[in-house]
Amino acid sequence: MQHTMSQSPITGSRRQLLSTLTGSFAALALGDLFARDGVLSGQLHHRPRAKRVVQLFMAGAASHIDTFDHKPYLRQQDGKPWDPGEQVELFQSTPGACFASPWEFRPHGQSAKMLSDIVAPLGDVVDQLAFVHNMVGKTGVHSQGTLLQTTGFNFPGFPSAGSWVSYALGSENENLPAFVVLPDHRGLASNGAKNWAPAFLPADHQGTVIRPGNDPPIADLLRPSNEFVTAESDRAGLAALGQLNQMHADQRRGDDRLAARVRSYELAAAMQLSATDALDVTSEPRHIKDLYGLAADGTTIEDSGVINERAETEYFGRKCLVARRLLERGVRFVQVWSGNDNGFPRRNWDSHGDVKRDHAPLALGMSRGASALIKDLAQRGMLDDTLILWTTEFGRMPCSQGSKGRDHNPFVFTNWLCGGGIKGGTYGQSDHWGFRPLDRSQETTVHDIYATILHLLGIDHTRLSVRHNGIDRRLTDVHGHVLHSMIA
Amino acid sequence: MSTPPTHWTSRFLLAFALLGTLLHGVPAPGSEPVDFAKDVVPLLQKHCLACHNDQVRDGDFSLSRPSDLVDLGYVDTTDPDSSHLLELVTPIDGTAEMPKDGAPLSSGERAVLRSWIAAGAEWDASIRLEPAVAADLDWWSLRPIASPGIPSPGISANGAEHPVDSFLDRQLRQQGLIANAQAEPRVLIRRLTYDLTGLPPTPDQWKQFRRESRQDFDTAWRRLVDRLLATPAFGEKWGQHWLDVARYAETHGYDKDKPRPNAWPYRDYVIDSLNTDKPYAQFVREQVAGDALPNTAPQAIAALGFLAAGPWDFIGHQEVGEGKLDGRIAKHLDRDEMISAVFNVFQSTTIQCAQCHHHKFDPIRMQDYYRLHAVFAAVDRADRVYRGVSRQQRQEQAALESQINRLEQRQRAIADPIDRQIADQTSQIDHRIAELKEVFGATQQPQFGYHSQISQTAAAPKWVQIDLGQARNVREIRLVPAFDPFGGIGAGFGFPVRYRVQASNDAEFGDSVRTLVDATDRDQPNPLTRPVHVVNDGSPFRFVRVTATKLRERTDDYIFALGEIEVIGDDGSNLASRRNVTAKDSIESGPRWGRDNLVDGIFYRELTDDRAMAELRELQRQRVAIESDLRSPEVIEQLESIRAEIRDLRKQLQAFPPGDVVYAVATQFEPSGAFVPTEGAPREIHLLHRGDLRSPGDLMTPGAPPLWNTANERFFDSQDWQERDARKRLADYLVQKDNPLVWRSITNRLWQWTFGQPLVATPNDFGRGGERPTHPELLDYLSARLRDDPNQSLKSIVRLLVTSRAYRRSSEHQPASAAIDQQNTLLWRANRRRLTAEEFRDSLLAISGALDRRRGGPSFRDFVIEKPEHSPHYEYHLHDPRDPKSYRRTVYRFVVRSQPQPMLTTLDCADPSISVPRRDESTTALQALTTWNHRFVATMAERFAEHLRRTAPDSAADQVNLACRLAWGFPPDPMQRDVLLHHLQAYGLASFSRVLFNTNDFVFVD
Repeated sequence: MQHTMSQSPITGSRRQLLSTLTGSFAALALGDLFARDGVLSGQLHHRPRAKRVVQLFMAGAASHIDTFDHKPYLRQQDGKPWDPGEQVELFQSTPGACFASPWEFRPHGQSAKMLSDIVAPLGDVVDQLAFVHNMVGKTGVHSQGTLLQTTGFNFPGFPSAGSWVSYALGSENENLPAFVVLPDHRGLASNGAKNWAPAFLPADHQGTVIRPGNDPPIADLLRPSNEFVTAESDRAGLAALGQLNQMHADQRRGDDRLAARVRSYELAAAMQLSATDALDVTSEPRHIKDLYGLAADGTTIEDSGVINERAETEYFGRKCLVARRLLERGVRFVQVWSGNDNGFPRRNWDSHGDVKRDHAPLALGMSRGASALIKDLAQRGMLDDTLILWTTEFGRMPCSQGSKGRDHNPFVFTNWLCGGGIKGGTYGQSDHWGFRPLDRSQETTVHDIYATILHLLGIDHTRLSVRHNGIDRRLTDVHGHVLHSMIA
Repeated sequence: MSTPPTHWTSRFLLAFALLGTLLHGVPAPGSEPVDFAKDVVPLLQKHCLACHNDQVRDGDFSLSRPSDLVDLGYVDTTDPDSSHLLELVTPIDGTAEMPKDGAPLSSGERAVLRSWIAAGAEWDASIRLEPAVAADLDWWSLRPIASPGIPSPGISANGAEHPVDSFLDRQLRQQGLIANAQAEPRVLIRRLTYDLTGLPPTPDQWKQFRRESRQDFDTAWRRLVDRLLATPAFGEKWGQHWLDVARYAETHGYDKDKPRPNAWPYRDYVIDSLNTDKPYAQFVREQVAGDALPNTAPQAIAALGFLAAGPWDFIGHQEVGEGKLDGRIAKHLDRDEMISAVFNVFQSTTIQCAQCHHHKFDPIRMQDYYRLHAVFAAVDRADRVYRGVSRQQRQEQAALESQINRLEQRQRAIADPIDRQIADQTSQIDHRIAELKEVFGATQQPQFGYHSQISQTAAAPKWVQIDLGQARNVREIRLVPAFDPFGGIGAGFGFPVRYRVQASNDAEFGDSVRTLVDATDRDQPNPLTRPVHVVNDGSPFRFVRVTATKLRERTDDYIFALGEIEVIGDDGSNLASRRNVTAKDSIESGPRWGRDNLVDGIFYRELTDDRAMAELRELQRQRVAIESDLRSPEVIEQLESIRAEIRDLRKQLQAFPPGDVVYAVATQFEPSGAFVPTEGAPREIHLLHRGDLRSPGDLMTPGAPPLWNTANERFFDSQDWQERDARKRLADYLVQKDNPLVWRSITNRLWQWTFGQPLVATPNDFGRGGERPTHPELLDYLSARLRDDPNQSLKSIVRLLVTSRAYRRSSEHQPASAAIDQQNTLLWRANRRRLTAEEFRDSLLAISGALDRRRGGPSFRDFVIEKPEHSPHYEYHLHDPRDPKSYRRTVYRFVVRSQPQPMLTTLDCADPSISVPRRDESTTALQALTTWNHRFVATMAERFAEHLRRTAPDSAADQVNLACRLAWGFPPDPMQRDVLLHHLQAYGLASFSRVLFNTNDFVFVD
């Protein structure tokens, strides 16, 4: 069931919330607020299958051959010199010997899809996942790879996919942003806020960063801590402001912006409540918290040193749960990050030094949260119209870097999609090394993925464009083909 | 292109250039026989030729000539429907295989193809097709700037007619629009002061203007305009406009987003240039080729910050480098970014469209685009000296730097192939070693060992010794090398190059000294992780001493270190354990380094298993053998001597004064990683098919698109040209008087920055993809006036605009006028606007009396950098809003790309990764949250309250009045006063100020 703040009566607990809120636009938050329209609201290009999107982004480049893309041949060749039959130019290193995945792969689900043990928690839902093992990128540079996957272009200046979706479809809930970003708890990935920037789209399609567990979780959500600001002065100040701004608008008829500004404070008030409510996972029953693997003492999970499984499970799981709560309340696009930018010690999927050390905790944490999200959406009847995309900037090499690491592989990697009209299965294979697409004339790009996602949202990707500096710009650049075979 | 165009080709070129820009109808099939030239060629050009021609042969298939079509069996004239060509273009389920990234052919078009095939697919072999090029210059922005006469004045308000009003009024009259009357003086002074300086008028300024305007409004207005144009705040406000289009920021962007501490001189250059009213042509020339102009001033080099202002991919340039495809892609994108900036900003032309194909709308060919790449083929973005170093010194520096550069290249040329060979031959060994370590590896404990003081020379003997407590029988002594895992130093850290081991019963080693090992006569190989065994076959002793006579090198200095010393007695026990250690000197930095760590039983052991250890030793031996086989002593010596030379040159470089540096384009800079200067030698630029570096075409030399008849299309006749000359020619090209774009472009911007809306709604695109001017003659009149002004004064144009009646109109809404011109395209009223992000912040500082008016210099930071050593995190929430160092005008803030300032971003400030010709003016709930709750706003509310308390101590009513005068520019009306006074009295001055800062009266300018 869809459940939005604006449609439900003020309950006792919410009243309580009102009184305890430090910021209190509350007095102004009255009445139902209607959804903001997108440019395609009411005039979609065709009947949509999905209404909203979750993008799970593995920053640093998750290894396909250690997770979802099983390569038995690599096991046979383990330790032998690697000869893919061509000169290979790697990002950091010269190619080492063949390096089999350190984990076992086992069959899961009806389809007996082979999954590595570190993503085994996704085994329960594996039949619903559509794997694309022949994704190709453009370069092996993190910043460019990340931008390519988030914006469709490998250099800055283009709107994020979430911004495009927000621009096209608007929000189902005016009290919450249409596009929300849940960054890694350690910090931002390569390119920072560029990965959710609206670029040349209107500013309100910027992804709003929410940090669950932070105080405040959204910048400036709550009143400042300066002494002169009290709950009462805050409320009275907003009331006075409303009067003054209304007078100003009344004296200047014919300028919508002035009334809009009066209203923006009312919306802010509503957002204060909605967001606080949406982020409050304490109200979730125990079995749901268990599903996501959340510990009772979640906020105190130790994560200052090396990547560890408990923290990954906790932080990623919590973001997935918050994502579900936001989606339920009408948020259109949620971007969830695992891993931030490079640093020492390692804090993302960029396992040049040690795949085993980094990938195991990251993948286990990710797959628990992702699996829980899929099950939870399914049990609420929301999986049918919620699309999930798992992606990363590129893949990793089948040969070793040093002895335990893998270098970047922009030549092939894996995406998977789920829900929202997607049919489970495997679409597109990599070669027996996991080095390049099996059929080099049949490769899949981010543009194909986004063409498909837009298609499922009821949008023809070639017709969602905005003219910028003389060019009609699209999320899919001048490329992209809908992957019809993947659609249920 | 190799073959000269045939008669036919050129005819087609022209014909289809026109067709390409207009939608052409498709002839009805079957009505008359299909004509190849008339019917088929246009559709091949429209759908196929961009990717399938003799230059770009995608799928190894060209439609420039009939040969591929016939030879590869694409057409079957006997059974047209089974022709491969038709199969490819016939959609199944709405998708056709071809064209790959375009709309499918219509059924009419397919029918034309079919009829043509059926009729024998005739194609005169002499007809060669080329992709369509839009070649005509018949477009408003490409026509010469006209010199339109000023229309005769209509109803003149006060006799003297103003040219701007003459043009505007004519169009208003034509539409039957009645313009608004002049706004009130208090509205006008606020509007003008914000528009010209970005700050609110002070009560004193208001008083002076009111006094003067009572006598003669027009004179008072002109004097106000002159006063404001003369304040440095003009350059600060208008500089921000320019920095928006110049995509200026002070971090690299992309991965890591490292700071550019020396970007700010360009920002100062822009502000100074506007304040001194630099002639526009000079302003343009300096930003493209400031270092190549005669009598270059230091500031003109700072101007080159323009080319470098955009994002830069640190990883792509510095870590990957041009040796790899990814690095070359980074260079390509880097040049594309510069070229786009030059053409978007100065020419309002979207040149970047011609990267993969000829521009679809405008007469720009791929060749033109890649000629521009050649112009910038030798430059990179880097710090360069612009002041404080003499020309002579600069040349000497450059000579040294280029020597270093050459030596490093030599170093790589020698070392890289050997490293690769070694890697090839040792990959299996390494894999086995890794396995052994995986299984038997021990974790290192932090007590590394003993570490001497650092020495600047190798020949500074150091010693360390152990007191066994009493004379003991000793079987052997084991020296265990230190192992330092940090910074990749690794095994054998500090193990002496030459040394001896001695025994004595005298702690001073004065007499009865016995030398057990003397390895002082020649350099010893580093034993790495392998202990050195010293056998004792003599009498008992109490003290053992290791003396290093030649120290091992660290990065730039020398030390002596050991992991452990074991002294094995007759019974096999370690007699040295926990004994007293003394040394000539030591660095005691617990827990890792200290004398006691030498005898603590803790040292680096590679493996926990003896057999594995034996195998490891053998593998390591093999590895060393391979290495020394491939890396001969001669090579090692050669590399060492190169290193020594580089060290020496670097020392010489350090002797020069550092000078003042600006982040700009440069051909000479200190190499860093894979980022090395070209020293002026241009990189080879090829035309790239579909923009792909893997499909290079013809070699390109510098030039620019022939967008007007006298434009210089190719800058040099020969292949032999100087980098600076190329940029200078481009600068000359840009400021040519015949250039119809450059003057129109800046005039349109000046208009926009004055009136709030441009005459051409797409200020970065005057091409066919952009908008047309609303007042073409006015635009030309002003453009010609600027171009022909001997001073090319921007201020004089601004002065002209703000002295018009149009500028002074009220912004009041009139339903009758709005019914005709809702968008106010014809300027029947003034445009009410919201304060920009910078104006909002600056105004809060200004009216609170907190604004620090110091100009120029390094930027203030309103964030704290965390983790600067790798990828800096810019944490705004950690910045103290009470820090007065951050109270300067916003134009002087340190602009970060990856993590833009949250408050300013919410208020629609420009995204510095792209050229932003027009800002958004959005109204969102997040904005309300920001202006209401942001810590800076709250802090300013406290400051403003303090200011009010001090200035108007007597009554709350006075405080309300003063506050409104400062924030709004006028006192409140009675109703407003009631609301404000009530709140002030109930909740205090600071809460009152917070309300005031959020009022529409404050954030909007009427």
